[in-house]
Amino acid sequence: MANPFNLPMVGRSLRNLVSRPATRRYPSETRPHFAGTRGTIEFDLDTCVFCGLCVRRCPTLALTCSREDRFFAIEQLRCIACGVCVDACNKDSLHMSVDAPRVHLHTGAAPGAPRPGHQEWHQQQPAGSPPGPGDAAGGPAVAAI
Amino acid sequence: MKRTVVPMGPQHPVLPEPLVLDLVLEDEKVVDAIPTIGYIHRGLEALVERIEFGEFGYVVERICGICSFMHGMGYAVAMEKIMAVEVPERASWLRLIWAEMSRVHSHLLWLGLGADAFGFENLFMHCWRTREQVLDIFEKTTGGRIIFSVNKIGGVRRDIEDSELAAIVATLQELGAGFAETARIFETDPSIRHRLSGVGVLSREDAHAVDAVGPMARASGIALDTRLTGTHFYDRLDFEPVLETAGDCLARVVVRVREITQSIDLIRQAVERMPKGDGAPIDVKVRGNPTGETFERLEQPRGEVIYYIKANGTKNLERFRARTPTFANIPAMIKLVKGCDLADVPNIIMTIDPCISCTER
Ligand code: SF4
Ligand code: SF4
Repeated sequence: MANPFNLPMVGRSLRNLVSRPATRRYPSETRPHFAGTRGTIEFDLDTCVFCGLCVRRCPTLALTCSREDRFFAIEQLRCIACGVCVDACNKDSLHMSVDAPRVHLHTGAAPGAPRPGHQEWHQQQPAGSPPGPGDAAGGPAVAAI
Repeated sequence: MKRTVVPMGPQHPVLPEPLVLDLVLEDEKVVDAIPTIGYIHRGLEALVERIEFGEFGYVVERICGICSFMHGMGYAVAMEKIMAVEVPERASWLRLIWAEMSRVHSHLLWLGLGADAFGFENLFMHCWRTREQVLDIFEKTTGGRIIFSVNKIGGVRRDIEDSELAAIVATLQELGAGFAETARIFETDPSIRHRLSGVGVLSREDAHAVDAVGPMARASGIALDTRLTGTHFYDRLDFEPVLETAGDCLARVVVRVREITQSIDLIRQAVERMPKGDGAPIDVKVRGNPTGETFERLEQPRGEVIYYIKANGTKNLERFRARTPTFANIPAMIKLVKGCDLADVPNIIMTIDPCISCTER
């Protein structure tokens, strides 16, 4: 039988009583991210040439793109943030950001509301000619996040 | 005597994952245990039909949230074998370092859960607090805390600079020194000894008979460790498996406690022995489709995992299969549960370190 007066945890517990907590006061204090932390996919319509490389490489089929329709879409809730599409894109049109707004599951609860996490972009001009000022077609038509 | 059947799981306070055991009791003694698995089957293996082999590694990682790195590595290594790809040396060293870090975080996680199972919540918090520092290193080096997506066929996707590697070794050694106090609690605290010592004894012969793997086998005195085969650069390190002979729950705890210190030392050795030089290649381009079949073995924190891959020259594999260590340890667990007291069942289940997500994929 082990010695009942051997209490190795007691010293540690007493020190914990007087030391700073190991946890943060979330949500007022949040944890900073590291430089290489992956995050949410962000898309830049202006540089994309709709080549479809990223679409073919995505393991979760989260991306859709069509060269004819100049259309690009991301299903954020399918994306597993692997970053393969970012590596695949030669045009630097895809990025990962930890500051992007969170995708909320509740979007789309109402009938006819957009699908949660679905983002799509349409470009009505051929690539190369810059969108005119005030031309709504040039900017991203973000359906919902 | 009248027999009673007590269903345990799929939801049970001690189980982190849905395992089901129907315990047949005579009074307080368990006379039989009938396991059921399948509550968390996700059909990941069948996804090879839809996902091309290059990207399937990111699916394989998701078999388990604790050994995710090792699953990704096992798949990548097996595919490299089929496709006869020579991986750059630095990539193999980096894989070894991340693999050992996975072992550290997995064992810390398990020690916490184990402490929680025998009612020592304070200790549970301490283990998880230490583990958090390992996860920070993972996030810094791979970009993810749990799912790293850093393996690919032909190498790894991110490099760690030499200065960063030295800093990681320093952090881990500091962590190891701090952990020594927690380790001493696990090994010497009388309440833990009282609760675990002599409970669920798996003799060396029984461990052989039921083919136990990993810390389960090593706690019964069998030097069974895939790292001993020297693959994946382990032959370049000084490595001796951690062995205990008692075979009880306490021995399984102690094996894991010591393996944490050992893994930290293996990482130190790897950083010392890997060739220096930032910017050395970490991946090679892979061309063509795989043909053929192969097996690959790795030592995961829970024991030996085996991957089987059959490829037919198309973009999709014909078959991918993983035999995970928990699956191999379930017969040992059933053997131990038979004949023990009902109150000891949670401890016995926890000390095999069950990973049901791995088992059911
Ligand atoms: S990060 Fe991965 S899962 Fe997400 S869209 Fe890109 S390739 Fe697909
Ligand atoms: S994001 Fe990049 S890879 Fe994807 S379609 Fe556009 S240009 Fe091609």
